[in-house]
Amino acid sequence: MHFSDLGVISLILALGFAALTLIVAVLGAVRHSERLVASAKRGTLAVTFFMVLAAASLIISFLVHDFGVVYVADQSNRAMPWYFSIAAFYSGQEGSLLYWGMMLAVFSAIFIFTSRRAPAHLVPYVIATLMGVQIFFTLMLVTVSSPFVRFTSQIPADGAGLNPLLRDPGMLIHPPTLLMGFMSFSLPFAFAVAAMITGRLDSEWLRSIRRWTLAAWSIQTAGLLLGMWWSYHVLGWGGYWEWDPVENAALFPWLTATAFLHSTMVQERRGMLKVWNLGLVIASFALSIFGTFEVRSGLISSVHSFAYSAIGGYFLVFLCVVIVFSLGLFIFRLPKLRPEQEFSSLISREGSFLLNNFLLVGITCATLWGTLFPLISQTFGRLSETVGAPFYNEVDGPIFAVLLLAMGLGPLLAWRRTSSHTLWRNLLTPAIFAALCALILPLAGVRNIAANIGFTVCAFTAGAILYELWRGVRVRHSHGEPYPIALVTLIQRYRRRYGGYIVHLGLILLAVGIIGSHAFQQEHDANLKVGQSVTIGSYHLVFFGNADTTDEAGTETIAAQLQIWHNGQLESYIYPARNFYPHFANEPASQISITTENLTDLYVFLADWQGAGQASFRIFLNPLVPLIWSGGLMMLFGGIICWWPERRRRRTIDTREVSSASGQTLSIQAKPASDEPAALDPVLANAGAEKESRT
Amino acid sequence: MKQRRSLLLVLALAALVGAAWLAILFATPQQPTLDQRVYNVAAQLKCPVCQNESVADSSAAIAQQMRQVIRQDLQKGMSEQQILQYFAAHYGNTILLTPPQQGFNLLAWLMPVAIFLLGLGLVSYVIRDWRIQGRLQLAAPDEQTSDETLADPELAAYRAQLEQELADDDPFLR
Repeated sequence: MHFSDLGVISLILALGFAALTLIVAVLGAVRHSERLVASAKRGTLAVTFFMVLAAASLIISFLVHDFGVVYVADQSNRAMPWYFSIAAFYSGQEGSLLYWGMMLAVFSAIFIFTSRRAPAHLVPYVIATLMGVQIFFTLMLVTVSSPFVRFTSQIPADGAGLNPLLRDPGMLIHPPTLLMGFMSFSLPFAFAVAAMITGRLDSEWLRSIRRWTLAAWSIQTAGLLLGMWWSYHVLGWGGYWEWDPVENAALFPWLTATAFLHSTMVQERRGMLKVWNLGLVIASFALSIFGTFEVRSGLISSVHSFAYSAIGGYFLVFLCVVIVFSLGLFIFRLPKLRPEQEFSSLISREGSFLLNNFLLVGITCATLWGTLFPLISQTFGRLSETVGAPFYNEVDGPIFAVLLLAMGLGPLLAWRRTSSHTLWRNLLTPAIFAALCALILPLAGVRNIAANIGFTVCAFTAGAILYELWRGVRVRHSHGEPYPIALVTLIQRYRRRYGGYIVHLGLILLAVGIIGSHAFQQEHDANLKVGQSVTIGSYHLVFFGNADTTDEAGTETIAAQLQIWHNGQLESYIYPARNFYPHFANEPASQISITTENLTDLYVFLADWQGAGQASFRIFLNPLVPLIWSGGLMMLFGGIICWWPERRRRRTIDTREVSSASGQTLSIQAKPASDEPAALDPVLANAGAEKESRT
Repeated sequence: MKQRRSLLLVLALAALVGAAWLAILFATPQQPTLDQRVYNVAAQLKCPVCQNESVADSSAAIAQQMRQVIRQDLQKGMSEQQILQYFAAHYGNTILLTPPQQGFNLLAWLMPVAIFLLGLGLVSYVIRDWRIQGRLQLAAPDEQTSDETLADPELAAYRAQLEQELADDDPFLR
C-alpha cells in the first residue's frame, strides 16, 4: 500500500460523491426538499474532503520521494529542497489538474459554509453546476491524466528533477495563483447557470455573483502580476509581458470579468444589460477553460507550455458542452431578461460603462483573434504565421489608451444624464492636470509623442480620481474630521466606490510603468574581457571576471562580477549568474541582477561566457518598471477593499453614524453616498444616492 | 455665465494639449541611436529556434548572431526595410513576427477593425432598442417608473442645491 493508492481511491470516491451530489442537488431543487439540499451540501463537503486527501497523498509521495510514481519521478529528485518538492506537485500537467480540481472543491466548500448569504433557491443549482465541473476534472484525473500512475517494471533510484525555469521562488506562488484564478471563474458561472435555470436574477443574486466575481478577479490579477514579475526576474529578456498565447489566455477571463464588474453596476442601478452580463460571466468561464486547455494542449506554440499532451481534445469537448449548455439556457431565458428602465443619454454613467464594456470586449476579441490567427492560417493550408508583440501593441495599445481616458470620464458623469454645466465644471481640474503634464513633459525631455499622449491621458484620469477623493475628504473635513481620518473613514464607509478608485489609481501607476518602460527602454549587448567596460545611460559597468562554483547538491553556478559606476561614483558590485542543475545541463537557469535607482532598473543578464576572463551580457535600462509592481499591489489592495465583507459591522457603524449625524443636518447630503443609502430621511437618503451617481 | 466659462476653459486646455502634441510631432525628430535601430529591426524578427520570442528578446546564441548581423548591415548603410526583406527572403515570411500587411495576412489586421465596427453597430442598435422600449414604457407607466417621476422634481431641486454648494467650494471657480 502506497500513498499513491490512497490518492487513487480518494479520486474515485470524490468522483462518485460528485456525481451523487449533482443528482441529489437537482432533485432537491426540483422537489423543493430541504433535506435533499442539506444532503447535497454534505455531499459537496465529502467531495472536498476526498479531493484534499488526494492532493495530500500526492504531496506526501513527493516528500517521501516515492519514485515508484511516474509523476513524482518526472518532476522531482532527492536533491531538491522540500519546498520545491511541494511546488513540483503542480509543475506538471497531471498535478496541475489535480490542483485545479482540489481548489474547485475547496471553493465549493467555502460556498457551502457561506451559503446562508446566498439566495436559498439558487443554492442547489449552484452546487449542481460546481459538481458538474468537478466531475469533468475528476474524471480526467481518474482516467486519462492520473498523477498516481506507478511504474510497472523498474523503479528509478532518483527522479529527473524540476524544470530549471521553475526553480525560482516565484514558482512557489505564481502557478498556483494563476490556476486558482482560472478555477475561481467557476463560481460566478455556477451562479449564472443557477439564475438562468430558476429565472430569478434579483439584486440578491447580483450581490452574490458580484462578490464571487470580484474574488476571482482579484486572484487572477494577483496571478497575472506574479506572472509578469516571474517573467521579468527569470527569463532574462528585460521585459515582463510578451503577448505570448498563454499570457493572453490568462488575460481573457480577466478582461471579461473586469467588464462584468462594471456593467453589473448598470444592472444593479438601472436594471439594464441583463443579457449582456450573463453573457460576460459565461464568456469568462469559457475563456478560463480555454486558457487551461490552451496551456495544456500545445495547440499554439508558446514559451510557457511545459507539458504537451493528448488531453487537449477532452478539454475541447468540455468547452463545447459548456458553451452549448449555457447558450441553450440563455436562449430559453431570453424573454425574461428585458431591461427595466429606458436608456436616457449616452453622456451618462451608464453610457460610460457601455463604452468601457465595448472597449474591454474589443480588446478581448482582437487579442483572441491574434492568438488564434496562426491556427486559422494553418487551417487554410498556409505556413504557421506568427502574430507577435508588434501586432498587439498596435491594435490593443490605442484601445487601452481610450479605456484609460474613459476611466477618468466615467466618475465625472451622473446616472441617466449629466447636465453640461456639471460636466464641464468637473472636467476642469483634471483637464488642468493633463495640460500641465502635456506641456511640462516635452520640456523635461520626453519627446516621444506616443509616450506623451499616454502620460497625458494618465494624468487626466489620475487628476479626475484624486479630485474626486479630495472633494469627499474636504466635505468630511468641513464637518470636523482631520484630513487623514477623513480619508480613512471615507474609504471605510463607501468601500466599493473608493476601493474601485484605488484599483483605478493602481492601474494608472501600472500604465505609467508600462508606457515608460516600453518607450524609453535602452538595451545594449556587450562582450567584455576582464578590465573592459561598457556604458549605458548614466551607468558605467566594469567587468572583473567569472567564477565557477558547484554546491553539494550538484548545482553549478557561473557568476560574473561587475562594478557599477553611476554618474562617476562607484555604486556597488553585481553578480549576474547562471545555474546548471543536474539532469538539465542544456537549460541553465539565470540569476538576473536588477539594481533599482530613481524608479529605473539596471537589468544585467549573463548571456554567455568563455572561461574566466570573458563574458557577454545583455544590459537593459528599464525606466519606471518599479511602478508596475507598486501599481499592481495597489490594484490588489483596492480589489480586496471592494470585496471585504461589511455586513456584520454595518449595524454598529450605522447607529454610531446616526447618533453623531443627528446634530449635523448636512452630513448626509454632503457625503458622497453609500452603496446602500443611509436610512435617516427617505428624501435625503435618496438624494444621497443620487449624489453618488453624479460625482 | 459660469457654465460658459468652464466650457471655454476646458476647450482652451484641450487646444493647448493638442498644440503641444502637434509641436512634438512636427519638431525635428531625434535621430535614433544604432542600439535603438538594431532593437527596432530585431523586435520585428522571430527567433528561429525559440517558441514565440523575438530576436530582440531572445537570449539564444542565434538571436545574438542575428543582432550582430543587423548591426553590421545597419552600419553598412542598409535600411531597416532592406534588412527585414533580406531575412524574409532567406528564412521565409515566417521569420517576421508581425504578419506582413498583404494577401491572406491582411485578414489578421482587418479583423480587429471589422470587430470594432460590428461592435459599434451592435451597441448603437441596442441603444436604439432601449430607447424605443423606454418610450413604450413611458406610454404605459408601471409602478416603478411612476414612482421615479414623482421623486424627480424633488431630486432635481436637491441636486441643483448640492451642485451649487460644491461649486461655491471649488478652488477654481470661486
